[in-house]
Amino acid sequence: MFGYQNKVLRIDLTRKGTIMEPLNMAWAEKYIGGKGLAIKYLYEELKPGIDPLSPENKLLLMTGPLTGTPVPCSGKLAVAAKSPATGTILDCSIGGHIALKVKYAGYDAVIFEGKLSKPGYVLIQNDKIEFKDASELWGKGSHEVEGILVEKYGHEASVLSIGPAGENLVTMSCINSDYYRQAGRGGIGAVMGSKNVKAIVVIGTGGVKVDKIVDVTNRLTEILRTDTVSEDNMFIYDCGTTAFLEACNDGGILPKNNFSDTTDEDWTKYNGDVLLASKVGKRGCGSCGLGCGNFLKIGDAVCEGPEYESIAVAGPNAGISDPESIVKANQVADDMGLDTISAGDTIIYAMEMTEKGIHDFGIRFGDKEKYIEYLKLMAKREGVGADLALGVRALAAKYGGEDFAMHVKGLEYPQYEPRGSWGMSLAYAVSDRGACHMRAYAPNEEVFAASIPPYTAEGKGEMVYNLAIYNAVKFSMVICDFWPLSLERMTEIMTMITGKDWTEAEMNAVAERVINIARAFNQREGFNRKDDTMPKRLANEALKSGAAAGQKIPQEAFEDMLDQYYAVLGWSKEGMVPDTILCQL
Amino acid sequence: MEVTISLRGHLIKQFGGEQERVVEVPENTTAEEALKLIGIDWKTARNFGFVAINSHKVLMTAQLKEGDQLKAYPKISGG
Repeated sequence: MFGYQNKVLRIDLTRKGTIMEPLNMAWAEKYIGGKGLAIKYLYEELKPGIDPLSPENKLLLMTGPLTGTPVPCSGKLAVAAKSPATGTILDCSIGGHIALKVKYAGYDAVIFEGKLSKPGYVLIQNDKIEFKDASELWGKGSHEVEGILVEKYGHEASVLSIGPAGENLVTMSCINSDYYRQAGRGGIGAVMGSKNVKAIVVIGTGGVKVDKIVDVTNRLTEILRTDTVSEDNMFIYDCGTTAFLEACNDGGILPKNNFSDTTDEDWTKYNGDVLLASKVGKRGCGSCGLGCGNFLKIGDAVCEGPEYESIAVAGPNAGISDPESIVKANQVADDMGLDTISAGDTIIYAMEMTEKGIHDFGIRFGDKEKYIEYLKLMAKREGVGADLALGVRALAAKYGGEDFAMHVKGLEYPQYEPRGSWGMSLAYAVSDRGACHMRAYAPNEEVFAASIPPYTAEGKGEMVYNLAIYNAVKFSMVICDFWPLSLERMTEIMTMITGKDWTEAEMNAVAERVINIARAFNQREGFNRKDDTMPKRLANEALKSGAAAGQKIPQEAFEDMLDQYYAVLGWSKEGMVPDTILCQL
Repeated sequence: MEVTISLRGHLIKQFGGEQERVVEVPENTTAEEALKLIGIDWKTARNFGFVAINSHKVLMTAQLKEGDQLKAYPKISGG
């Protein structure tokens, strides 16, 4: 098939050796690339039960057949490993330009194995691989490290780096690229840190072969104009994800004070209009037509973003309404190499614990200075940060507050309140990496459209299945979330780029295979229905205000949704993938 | 009675690019009827999302009161 380089770079960090091997094309036909193909490789190559922070874990960078082509919004990279936060499979998606450089260097995938004997970084210049000393970089923030390496290797270089959090194996640490783009969740930064890899620098100067280049270019130009940069999608260029803030507030799913309620009366102090008034720059990823990135500068706080998630957690969910503080929290978390969602959720859990007198973490709702200070302490595991770096699940086990410990499988909750969108509780529960909003985005159907009633279990199994199918194939093609292209368009593009005739049925089959193999990985690690949970708060406490006031999700309704979802996929009542499906993966 | 109708996203085309207008509507007008008065039929409008009265999502059949703000969103996607 066209679009692939047919090459995997395998890097043995322990022996400082490299192997170039062919991409497994039989797997590529079944899983395409990105999310799906990365999970297939890990499923086949990782021994069950390994410690995610041991040299036995592997760190995968996986492109897809569209990467490096002019297909709009195809510039992201899948980064995958076994998660140290959850013990599940973990795949993340990072923007910027790193994916293109990996592909142009000649690789579909790069697999890091083993561990460097001391801190270093890996320099990939096309087919030349070097292992460099990073003793001068270790301990520095991600932003400084990227600046040093780009200065050293030039602007043709793209960099993946970790901050102090990744070095210190904090299981909510991320990997950064292009300063403000992250593979954010599940402690992927700690996997890189556990391998003593501070950074990965990639310089790629090659190209990608596609079928019928002239026809492809003409058709993609038309698609870009009519389907990508369309009137419907321009809110992404204009506002980025700040647009979700008002819609979530009005829709009753903007969480407040550690998910104790929704709808913040102060939201106009930090809404999209306020934040974007401080815009000082604009940016998009490689191959992007939408350019969602907005650089904001408020006082001495500057960052690209903040995205909806980072605003909501450092704003209303922390009882904070100061836009400068929200931007600063994003800037500090990125530089320290922390996932803004998990780190923020842990701080707001600590705020509620203190407010309720269960355990005094020394921080209360609204304490904006300490929010930022605590991020730094968590990354360095210093003072109270040593405790907080454990995350919500471990803290609840240690100190209590289980009723409002907002996580699934140890991954902290994203900022969409499920009591206003019941399907989201199911989506978080069955997501392959713990509570994640990127696997099936229920508000699209339940809140932002008038199509499906939000406060019922009826039909939610099938709804979440359909949303998960859509994202599974999209993320395996490695297309950005922000282009809501149809399955028909995805199929057309796959056929156009690879030269193989794809059908919508085949694309759906890929998606279902991806969901199943991710589940099979987790099943092999001991996960089943008992782990597909909903925080107790959602069943026990009704929302007090907002559009969803009075709503809670009865446990039996949640269990009903789980039953429905398992049934659609042909899984057992215990949520197990049967042998008849396993043997086809 | 007077209500404020506020539009988001591509819907602002209906107001010639303005986001908000004060509109005179009859008593007991529903959200659906108020939008029709300004030329938006939510059932046929492209990519229509939802409506909120005074920043609370409501059904299209919800009735407006004097001084209310009716907000109409296109469908947004992403996450």
